[in-house]
Formats: sequence, C-alpha cells, structure tokens
Amino acid sequence: MLNSVVAGLTSGGVYALLGLCVVLTYRLVAVVNFTMAAVGAMGAFVMVSLMDAGLGVWLALPLGVAAGAALSALLGAVLVRWFGDHDERTKAAVTVAVYVAVMAIGLRLFGGTTTGARRFPAPFDTPAFTVGGVVVPQSVLVSLAFAVLITVGVGLLLNRTLVGLRLQALSERPATAEVVGIPAPRLAVGVWAAIGAVTTLVILLVAPRLGGDFSTLGNLIATAFAVAMVGAFRSLPLTLAGGLVLGCLEGLSASLSAIQQYRGVVPFLVIVVLLWWRSRHEVWDTAHSR
Amino acid sequence: MTAPVLSLRGVGVNRREVPVVHDVSLDVAPGAVTVVLGANGAGKTTLMDGIAGLAPVTSGTVQLDGRPIGKLPTYRRAQAGLGYVEQARTVFRTLTVEQNLLVAGGDLGKVYDLFPELGNRRGLQAGHLSGGEQQMLALGRTLVSGPKVVLIDEMSLGLAPVVVRRLMDAVGDLVGLGIAVLLIEQFANLALDIGTHAYVLRKGRVVHDGPCAELRGRSERLHEFYFGLPPAPVAAAAESETR
Repeated sequence: MLNSVVAGLTSGGVYALLGLCVVLTYRLVAVVNFTMAAVGAMGAFVMVSLMDAGLGVWLALPLGVAAGAALSALLGAVLVRWFGDHDERTKAAVTVAVYVAVMAIGLRLFGGTTTGARRFPAPFDTPAFTVGGVVVPQSVLVSLAFAVLITVGVGLLLNRTLVGLRLQALSERPATAEVVGIPAPRLAVGVWAAIGAVTTLVILLVAPRLGGDFSTLGNLIATAFAVAMVGAFRSLPLTLAGGLVLGCLEGLSASLSAIQQYRGVVPFLVIVVLLWWRSRHEVWDTAHSR
Repeated sequence: MTAPVLSLRGVGVNRREVPVVHDVSLDVAPGAVTVVLGANGAGKTTLMDGIAGLAPVTSGTVQLDGRPIGKLPTYRRAQAGLGYVEQARTVFRTLTVEQNLLVAGGDLGKVYDLFPELGNRRGLQAGHLSGGEQQMLALGRTLVSGPKVVLIDEMSLGLAPVVVRRLMDAVGDLVGLGIAVLLIEQFANLALDIGTHAYVLRKGRVVHDGPCAELRGRSERLHEFYFGLPPAPVAAAAESETR
C-alpha cells in the first residue's frame, strides 16, 4: 500500500502542477480554462512526433514547448480581442468549445487511446532512493520540486516585481489596469503563452506514466479542476497540497482491489464533495432569506 | 484662446451596441477645469469612456495635443497623457496604496505631496481605505504618469461634503500643476465654482456650451438644459425659498 501511495505522490506532484496552471490562468486573466491540458498535450505530441521524425530530444523539446505556448497564446489573443468585455461564463464556454475542437484535432492527428499511445522519453524513471523498502523514483522528486518552484516562484513574481503587480492589477480590474497605462492585451497573451509552455512541460512529465495517448492526457483537465477547487481557484499553496492529496488518494485506491477499477472517479468525487462543502452556507443563507 | 489640449469633433459613442452619445464637440483648455453637466442618463460617463477608450467611438475625432487618439487602445491613450478617474473609486483593492501607484509607474513623491494622508498609509491594502482616501488614491494614481489631461467622473459619489471639498481642492492643485481637467460632477454648483467652461448634455447631445459663470447660481437654467423644460412653478418656488 505504501508503494501505491508513493506512486500516487508522483502523480500528485503533476496534478498539483496542473492545478496551479488552472489557478494561475484564473487569477491572472480571469478565465476558467478547459483547454489547458489539451493544449499541453498538443505541445507534447508535437515534441514526440518531431522525435519520431528523427529530431534530437534537445531540439524537439523547445519546439514542442513553443508549440504549446503558441497555441495557448492564440487562444488568449482570441479571448482578449473578441471576448474581452464578456463575463467569466462566456469565456469559460469559449474554452469548452476550443477544448472540443483541440481534442478532435488531436485525436485525428495523433490517434485514440488504443492506437495513438506514443513512447515519451522518461528520463526520471530511475530510482532516487528507497524508504522502508519502497523505491522512490526520481520523477517524484522532480514533479514535487517543479510544483514547489512554481508555487514559490509565482508568489515572488506577483508580489516582488512590477510585472507581477501589474498582473495582479490586470486580474482585479482589467479595464482600470488599461486606464492607468498597463498594456493589458500584451500582458494577458504573455500569461497565456507562459501557461501553455508550463502545461506542455507538465504533460511531458506525466505522459510516460499515463500511457502516452492524446485522449488520456487531454482529459487531465478534470483532475486539474479538482485540484484547483481545493485551492478555491485562488490559493497556490492549497492547490499544491490538493494535488498531493489527490495523487495519494488515487494511489491508495489503486492498491485496494475492491475499488481499483474505479480510481479514475476520485477527482470527480473530490469536485462533488468540495462543491457541496462550499455551497453549504448558500443553502443556509437562502433558507434564512425566505 | 490657447490651443485645446483635448479636442472632440462630432463624436458619437456606443454603449453595448446602442448609440448613446451623438455628435459631441468640445474643447478642454490647458491648465483649466472644463465641466460636463447633465441629468442621469444624459451620456456623460459614456462620453468619458469613449474618450478614454473604454467604449467605442463610432464617429468623429478625438485629439490629444493635436494628435488623433480615437483609434488607440486604452493603455496607449493613457501613455499618451490621458488620465481617467473612473466612477465608483476604482482602486486595486488587493494591492497596497504604494503598489497602486507603482503599477501606474513614474513619480510617487508628487502624489504624497498632494495627498499626505496617502503617504501615511502607503503599506495598507487599498480595499481598507475609507471612501475618500480611495478617491484620493484614484486621483493620485493618474498623476504619477504625468498626464496632460485628467478626466474625472463623479468624484463626489457617496462621500461626505467635507471630503468632497478636500477633493475639489486637489483638483484645483492639478490645475496649478498645468494639467487640464474634464470634470463630471453631480454637485453642479461645486463644479461650476472651480470650472471655467461648461457643457451641458441632454440625451447624448450638447445642448449648452458656455462659460461656467453664466450658469453659477442659476439652477432654473440648468434645469431647463437638463430636461428641456422650465422648472415647475411649485418646485421653483420651493427652490427659491431654500436659497
């Protein structure tokens, strides 16, 4: 069981990273981004396709990351240009539409679950150390370090740099940010590009463990949302913790034969429980306002 | 007359696809307060939003220092020297006072000179400031980037008279620094007291254009301009009694 929990930690670090990307997109450009994992998967598959075509990993990696960044930036530019004045629901609906399109194109280009699994490079599969008979692979440490780096780095960026302050201003009052001279469209598209690049890296990290097919990777958005909900789409440290807890829960459920085959349901259970927990005051308030 | 720093000719502005401002021409002189008056719904805020780039200008020209800015995005207009204090105290509530000023760039010292109250609270989150202090911050924030003209929309909304007077003094200080001000104000007499030239809007069109002195203390004329009708005799009598 401990082995499964440690294995879950590997996924947990990656889930935390995906959740962090969702939270950052929401905090900085006020969009609930359904396309995020699909866009990252697109970048990852561009990389692996280039490698299949004979390109070296160190050339294919930046090109794949650039592809993810460019696709994300394109979506960001569309949202800024044509949906800048619309509310969050409309923007989320646009990303749902784009998610469906990106998934359809990705499946057409790279194949489905059974036909499209690719061999992604897995440089961190070697054991890092052993604790109580449990082998901890390097990927656990890498994903955790990456998640902590993003949490701390983004916190510092937002609070200690002028760009970070402007990003906060942009997320709080986009129109007023422009009124005081902040180049809001350029900054927003930059955020989208950075999110696309980071998501591609995260998908590359998790792809070897999850089978490496486009459908599974693109649909990781459900897990990312569950993690983001733990942090209430706001708190980076809570999102990080949420990712780790979700990974461990998934690992634990994989080790129990009775529920093993239902472990994919864990993120949805987390979403439902958190929605219920967060809405309990609304029920109370509504009852009292009658 | 010296060349206007901000000039509008035949400007039309839409709000959510609906034409609200029609064929407005006005000039804002440097180092002076120009006042825009009108009843609720006359199109004053839409006009300001159009000048600042927050609402689309559908016809006419907007020039800042002789340079057309009507097609520029909002942030480029701000960088060109157009400051805008929006209605409803639009500070960045989660940022501190100092951070609110920093995001606009430039010289923070002159803001603290103008509003020493803000200097004492520079580390406080803007959301925790009083209404008057938030308005001072919004006004001060326009100063840091060295604007040529500042648009001010209903600065006194929801504030105590003593605070409104303090803010009006600050507007006078802006003018002292050579900055032109285009002011919308619900308290017409306060605005007319510090203004030099006034425009009155009704249903999105300019129905009066003249020196502020012509309108000071003449609320019956303002009423006529606002609504297109002379005030009702009972209301006029009641008003003259309270005067």
